[in-house]
Amino acid sequence: MPFYEKGETRLYHEDTGGSGFPLLVIPGGGLNSTVEGLKTHPFNPLVEFKDEFRVIAADLRNAKGGQSTGPLETDRPWDAYTDDHIGLMDHLGIRHFMVLGFCIGGPFIWNLLKRAGDRVVAAVPVQPSGYRHEMPELSYKNNMKGWGAELCERRPEITMAMVDKFLSNMYRGERADFVYTVSRDFVRQCRTPILILPDDVPGHPYVVALESAYLAPNAQVTLYPWKMNPSQLQLALRHVRGFLKNNRPAVAAQPLAAAAQ
Amino acid sequence: MPFYEKGDVRIYYEDTGGSGFPLLVIPGGGLNATIAYTRNTATAPFDATAEFKNEYRCIAFDLRNANGGQSSGPLEIDRPWDSYTDDMLGLLDHLGISEFMALGYCIGGPFIWNLLQRAGRRVVAAVPTQPSGFRPTMPTLFYDNNIKGWAPALCERRPDITMAMCDAFLKNMYTKRADFVFTVSRDFVRDCQTPVLVLPDDVPAHPYATAMESVYLAPNAQVSLYPWKDNPEKVRLAVRHVRTFLKANRPN
Repeated sequence: MPFYEKGETRLYHEDTGGSGFPLLVIPGGGLNSTVEGLKTHPFNPLVEFKDEFRVIAADLRNAKGGQSTGPLETDRPWDAYTDDHIGLMDHLGIRHFMVLGFCIGGPFIWNLLKRAGDRVVAAVPVQPSGYRHEMPELSYKNNMKGWGAELCERRPEITMAMVDKFLSNMYRGERADFVYTVSRDFVRQCRTPILILPDDVPGHPYVVALESAYLAPNAQVTLYPWKMNPSQLQLALRHVRGFLKNNRPAVAAQPLAAAAQ
Repeated sequence: MPFYEKGDVRIYYEDTGGSGFPLLVIPGGGLNATIAYTRNTATAPFDATAEFKNEYRCIAFDLRNANGGQSSGPLEIDRPWDSYTDDMLGLLDHLGISEFMALGYCIGGPFIWNLLQRAGRRVVAAVPTQPSGFRPTMPTLFYDNNIKGWAPALCERRPDITMAMCDAFLKNMYTKRADFVFTVSRDFVRDCQTPVLVLPDDVPAHPYATAMESVYLAPNAQVSLYPWKDNPEKVRLAVRHVRTFLKANRPN
């Protein structure tokens, strides 16, 4: 089973391989995001796009039910996960890639664009998470209950106080706005093509998804709703496929070493 | 000013030229569809020619006998939809164009389906924008609109055409075809493999239900966000979707 290891971090990932352009898939499920969880998502990109792209997905570090582990970097929660995403792509020798992320994958995508915008060719936030003013503690509380408690049980070196700090730095204070990871000004200036598949459950506010689509100069948005029946889902997937196809570079992905020359 | 002429038919058209893949732009405005419709933001949500002329060879035209337009021809009472479709195919033949994409507003929706039925091999991809369709709750809408808004002015300037002829023409066009998208059957749409991107609307003449039914039936259909015309930001999002769709389906 493939693991990417760096220091104390050990990341389980799956890679369909092949010569297709790389598509990093970030599963949803909050901090319990795993490759296995993709099977319960509205669609599974590992199945849907494997014939056209090299699809790579990973268990999030320290996700419940997953196989990835690593330290709890309380002072830099979002960046710690983004380190893993970028590190995994480096490990696989991938310079340029596209990214499709469910739920928490939305904020992760924006952070990837901020930190490695020159490597991300196009991005697809699917039912993206975002801050909802009328439920300001939603993400913090969900993860304290649904992730923090179980993590502390299986990792004695991690305490609920550490989890509280981690989640507070992730979701509260200055982060409690918009898509958590980047500012509206960043989105306004981001030229990367983005296709958003909006949702409107408490953790995935439609208004934030649309606001980011309005701001980003090369954004698109699918039909909404798109998950009510299989026919709608097919329509959304055709849009995603056309979007990925259009933005895929004409030449195959270059390995890191070749790209650096 | 360029005209395509065939027999008694004279079609005014505009052609941006260039080496881009051809994009036929079918204006809206019912039987008064003219190029001016697409240029006016009060009538068209976006001007397809202005949007896409840098990437495509855009060809637009005035519908035969549209009031306010420069195209003219006989009123082919027994074959209303096909006579207009003849004009479109004839214009493209005249321009030496074999394969093309089509983007049509309003009445352009039924025209696109008729183009796909009659010349499916030539139409590489199509974009029905706020397409017209039959609304069972308003079964005489199109007949009524055109017998009032198109026929009288046409009869006034064309003494060879009478209101009785217009009545027969519109009955053959709408009353006897009062279902779905007027021009083709659901079975045709179900079998149509051509990529289609629909931008739905929901005013009386542009039923959302019909637009979505066609999208669900067509095996390679896509649909834009909806609504997409209530603010300029959404129009931009929809146009970006159109651009992606056209580019994805443009032959290399």
